[in-house]
Amino acid sequence: MSTFYDHFERHGKGLANRVTHYCPGCGHGLAHRDLAAAIDELGVQDRTVLISPVGCSVFAYYYFDVGNTQAAHGRAPAVALGHKLANPDAVVISYQGDGDLASIGLAETISIAQLGIPITVIFINNGIYGMTGGQMAPTSLVGQKTSTSPEGRDSAMGQPLRVAELIAQLDGPVYVERVALYDARQRTKARKAIAKALRLQVEGRGYAFVEVLSECPTHLKVTPDAAEAWIRTQMEPVFPLGVKKDSMVEPWFRRPPPSFDAETVLALSGAEPTQDRAEGPARRHRLGARGRSLKLAGAGGDGAQTAALLLARAAIAEGFDATHIPSYGPESRGGTSYADVNIAEEEVLNPSAAEPDVLVAFNAPSLARFASTVPEGGLILYDSTVITEPGELPERRRVLGVPFTGIAVGLKQPMVKNLVALGALQAASAILPAPRILGALREVLKHKRAALPVNEAAFAAGQAAVAQARA
Amino acid sequence: MPATARERPFLEPAYCKGCLRCVEVCPKDCITPGTAVYPGTGLIPVELRLDACNGCGLCIAACPEPFGLRTQSETAHVEHAAQEYLLQDPTELFGSKIVEGSPIRERPAKAIPLQECAPLVLKGTYASAIGAVLAGCRHVFGYPITPSTEGAELMAKMLPKLGGSFVQAVSEVAAVNMMYGAGAAGVPSMTFTSSPGFSLMLEGISYMIGAEVPGVFVNVMRGGPGLGNIGPEQADIKLACRGLGHGNTHALVLAPSTPQEMLDLTMEAFALSFRYRNPVVILGDGYLGQMTGAVRLPSRMFRPGLPSWCVWGDRAHRTNLICSIMLAEPDLEAHNLRLNAKYAAICAEEQRADAYRCEDARVLVIACNTPSRMAKGAVEAAREHGIAAGLLRPITLWPFPIDALKELLPHVEHIIVVEASPGQLEDEMRLALSHAGIQPPPITSVRRLGGMLPQQAEILAGIRESQEVRV
Repeated sequence: MSTFYDHFERHGKGLANRVTHYCPGCGHGLAHRDLAAAIDELGVQDRTVLISPVGCSVFAYYYFDVGNTQAAHGRAPAVALGHKLANPDAVVISYQGDGDLASIGLAETISIAQLGIPITVIFINNGIYGMTGGQMAPTSLVGQKTSTSPEGRDSAMGQPLRVAELIAQLDGPVYVERVALYDARQRTKARKAIAKALRLQVEGRGYAFVEVLSECPTHLKVTPDAAEAWIRTQMEPVFPLGVKKDSMVEPWFRRPPPSFDAETVLALSGAEPTQDRAEGPARRHRLGARGRSLKLAGAGGDGAQTAALLLARAAIAEGFDATHIPSYGPESRGGTSYADVNIAEEEVLNPSAAEPDVLVAFNAPSLARFASTVPEGGLILYDSTVITEPGELPERRRVLGVPFTGIAVGLKQPMVKNLVALGALQAASAILPAPRILGALREVLKHKRAALPVNEAAFAAGQAAVAQARA
Repeated sequence: MPATARERPFLEPAYCKGCLRCVEVCPKDCITPGTAVYPGTGLIPVELRLDACNGCGLCIAACPEPFGLRTQSETAHVEHAAQEYLLQDPTELFGSKIVEGSPIRERPAKAIPLQECAPLVLKGTYASAIGAVLAGCRHVFGYPITPSTEGAELMAKMLPKLGGSFVQAVSEVAAVNMMYGAGAAGVPSMTFTSSPGFSLMLEGISYMIGAEVPGVFVNVMRGGPGLGNIGPEQADIKLACRGLGHGNTHALVLAPSTPQEMLDLTMEAFALSFRYRNPVVILGDGYLGQMTGAVRLPSRMFRPGLPSWCVWGDRAHRTNLICSIMLAEPDLEAHNLRLNAKYAAICAEEQRADAYRCEDARVLVIACNTPSRMAKGAVEAAREHGIAAGLLRPITLWPFPIDALKELLPHVEHIIVVEASPGQLEDEMRLALSHAGIQPPPITSVRRLGGMLPQQAEILAGIRESQEVRV
């Protein structure tokens, strides 16, 4: 039995250092022996990582000579999953009691079972809290007296949770069985079930769950043989034994080792080595010490954020510092969508646009809300297709109505109204040279080349509309 | 141990708790309840009379103790000594089992050079995600929460192509425990979250600190308390610096102020996390998470090593244990003293701050994250008004960069703490001053709450006010 340590250090040196801390007659020891036997038989001691829970088996790591991690109450399956994904070759076992698995950790239990990633969960169900001293468990029977159900559990305290059945109806697990330890026949089945659950993981076939009805003579306040009888006569009718799920699954769990290839990482980051860049060096159009602050405001779907991002990209390509901050209403579509863009020659200090030099308004509420925030000498651009009556706007600002939507509809692509707006903005403000903005557009659409012509046309049409208005 | 072995059982009475589970199972009535107390244990072991024994093994399968009933061959070397066994220690009789295992070796991290790339235009959460990938992180666990989600989304896109794993956990509670598992296995892992989610992770962070498990938490702070809003606040400073779950906990807390720093500090966070075997928290604000800006990639990325202490799931690391439970009070006190020494080392070695125009500053503004950008603008403006203002921007909030502050104090006549929180940054500063035994000059504040950030004009007003107060 090499998987057990030769001495259990918890008890220090001496004669007692080969016995467990479990009470006489406790089922944990039997389950431990079954698990150790399974690890031995499969020859996976070196690869095994055992997650000990909070509960009586918190000290499982004193006994099992394997890699050991001790988890917070209820979280063992999450910890097990972290281990398994970190090293898919590890054989990871989450060993948990009923309070841990079926009460505080229920969300982890179910969600991680449903992932189906091969780990092995051993669930010791003894119908009571052991470590904290005999309180009611989620699996306590109706009528069972515990220290927190002193008159017996009634249904309003919750009825016993049949976890094996719960897990078996999930798609993730490949094998679920409930076993018991109360007689020789059941013990044989338990040993086989635990071995099978572990083998399914070793073979990469999937997640396996074994619920073990286990005796807690101490907190049932009976002798070990009476505890066995209690499991057989009282618990088993509520928790029927047997295989709850057993899917034939071919080995499937294989993970490639992580890649640390620099080129792949750069490509995924969207970075391009400098010599590959098509564009020339930054030209440094002048902005003045204060830089520029812009607000693009509309509804979700107007494209304000995309336009803002193009401005920021173009500015950075120009050699400036630039920031873009989006803000949205809670709706995914049709809610407010505001974009703050700031551009500075050296460093953007304030990334918000509380007093924008330029406002681009895609709808009337945005115009009404932000027009007054534009300081004197600023520029207000709005979509004159949508905003037919702009109302009273502050004086001493340049105000330009351009039919963003109308022009875009004329191009048979209403979605490009943001590019019309950008073209108009470029022509009206000359904040950035047009080729920079078009360069940013090409960059953003490099995987959607087909969309480029209509976007470029929209930009040009926006520029032309402003030129025409001037003429 | 096959139950079918036709060998007779053997029992060392010291390892029998007298639970009697073997008694009822023996078909030949070979085992009877004991009659004498065993002096070493105070328990009454069963008595074996094996004349009728046919070696069915049922008693062995019924014994919950790993070293309880075993076959005679397993304990063959015991028999001859059985007579005098009562008085002897098995360790002395048989020696300790030799635990096989190759010596635990550490595999160091490796730097991989990167080609020079044009600056990227990235939002803060993306920059952080790319920083993590460059640092070698291939395991990310998270739960969606605005305004941090985009980091997780980018990871979900990148990691499968890098042989890594992104898991959307059932909750932040599960996510942090997956990090605990991956970190216990010695691999770098991280999460993106925001204030309410960070609250949920605190339990797991306490366990990680207790068990000395590394991991990086990016908390893009939003407005609170409760559900609050998704605007930028800095009101988790208290939580990150003083409230990382129960017990004696601390973690390095880094405060970036630009998308570039989101990348740089995320990379650094992984290094620090493994250097100190402790979680590291990156506190951003809602603006910083969403803000797009220019980001330059570093000249190298990393392939992480494998530390000697980890529970990897192989022979070399089999004897390791990751655990935060220490039942013996002196053990836990010693552990805490060791943690304290680690905290002290962090305080001495890892303070970071950025000083801007501080050399001759008489008014010192203290600000971090996005508000530090507005503060920088205010300092510029104040200088234009002839006020000798400077900005000290803490990059580590815990430890607070008291050494940098101390150096400036001889010429500082007034401190203004600028923050989007009710004074949590100021509290950190005051605590650090107090511990350092420094009597500070007058301290005033510019604070906004609820998702509003202090604007440059407000900060400038605060600076000017400080001058009036002095006069």
